Amino acid sequence: MKRHIYADNAATTKLDAEAFAAMKIWLLDEYANASQQYSFARKPRAAIKQAREIIAECINAEPQEIFFTSGGTESDNWAIKSAVLANLNERPHIITSAIEHKAILNSCAAMQNLGCTVTKLPVDARGVVSPDDLASSILPQTKIISVMTANNEIGTIQPVKKLCEIAHEHGKIFHTDAVQAVGHIPIDVKNLGVDMLSASAHKFNAPKGVGFLYVRAGVKLFPYLDGGAQEYGMRAGTENVAAIVGMAVALKKNISALETNQKHIIGLEKLFIRELEENNIPHVRNGAEPTLPGLISLSFDGKDGEKILHRMDLMGISISTGSACDGNKNQISHVLKALNLSESLAKGTIRISLGKNNTLEDVRAIVTALKKVLGD
Amino acid sequence: MKKKLCCECGKALIKDEAALCKKLLGTDTDEFYCIDCFAEYLECDKVDLEIKIQEFKEQGCILFL
Ligand SMILES: [Zn+2]
Repeated sequence: MKRHIYADNAATTKLDAEAFAAMKIWLLDEYANASQQYSFARKPRAAIKQAREIIAECINAEPQEIFFTSGGTESDNWAIKSAVLANLNERPHIITSAIEHKAILNSCAAMQNLGCTVTKLPVDARGVVSPDDLASSILPQTKIISVMTANNEIGTIQPVKKLCEIAHEHGKIFHTDAVQAVGHIPIDVKNLGVDMLSASAHKFNAPKGVGFLYVRAGVKLFPYLDGGAQEYGMRAGTENVAAIVGMAVALKKNISALETNQKHIIGLEKLFIRELEENNIPHVRNGAEPTLPGLISLSFDGKDGEKILHRMDLMGISISTGSACDGNKNQISHVLKALNLSESLAKGTIRISLGKNNTLEDVRAIVTALKKVLGD
Repeated sequence: MKKKLCCECGKALIKDEAALCKKLLGTDTDEFYCIDCFAEYLECDKVDLEIKIQEFKEQGCILFL
């Protein structure tokens, strides 16, 4: 049988075996609703408390600043919509960047329909937001500024600390979508100074369907899901205890091994680029340092990213593309458009995202496959 | 339009086979394969190509209309 090589770790990651083991008891045995008053609910309640403490420690936050959600999309929606809903009568202005995840961009679009205005900051050819652009875009009615920590398509890491300082100089709330970054690069919310931060568990070897929103103490938060009193009355819904525990275990494990993982992944990345060059495969690498370890966005001039994806898939290799067939034409992603990449390069863009489970053998096999496909 | 022939075995191709070659080799390809020869050329299982055809149709790819 063909060996499967998973090289799309930016899309999702393999669930960590220890995280899975830690989850089982909360699904099969200790299944009580943590909000109940009887003794059977004590253990899940304690597990949630402990998970909150672990996660807070991983990003240098306080436990009461961590709100569990269903994932990055909900966290992003909550951050944007909370800022707007709390100030709806003032026709809020939102600032974000042109390369945000759709969870942010479409939340902003939904708020535009309610009468808000939105400024999308451009990025340079490396995918970086200019602090000066941010400073000149802030209006008196700006209620939230949201710029991602690291981009999911090209890996570029934004100058979040600097952007946050500018936001605060103007007395504005700063949110960052750190979905792609948490568990992969050091995140210290106190050092960054962010007011809110979104994270998604399945991006760091935890289960799907769970995430969190960090909200700095003192920042006004508007409830997003109404119902019961869970999450300090801010996010209703019976807690997904197993997923929350799995998230804490996986995050702690990734953070504990952050340097080791980074070293391994950067080693793979360097080998990959070296192999491309030694095999004389002409390419353009998108994004720029500082970048997420292992996230490699490559453009092949005049080639077809979708064709590359399917051909690699038939060889047992899972990668991603920056352009998708939309029935009759190739849709270029909004991120590649924002980089002002030529159509010929954008159309030939793929994303290879290596993770801690990838090996040197994987990298060599990917380059061999790529060479074959590009030669056809 | 003249029927395309498999460049390996000479078999006349059905529409899906020709569309799959365009999808996986490029719309400007001059080389067309029947599904058996294509599976051999790509070193994959024929069934994987059949599933791909189905998926491309479900996605609404106009090559398969
Ligand atoms: Zn044939």
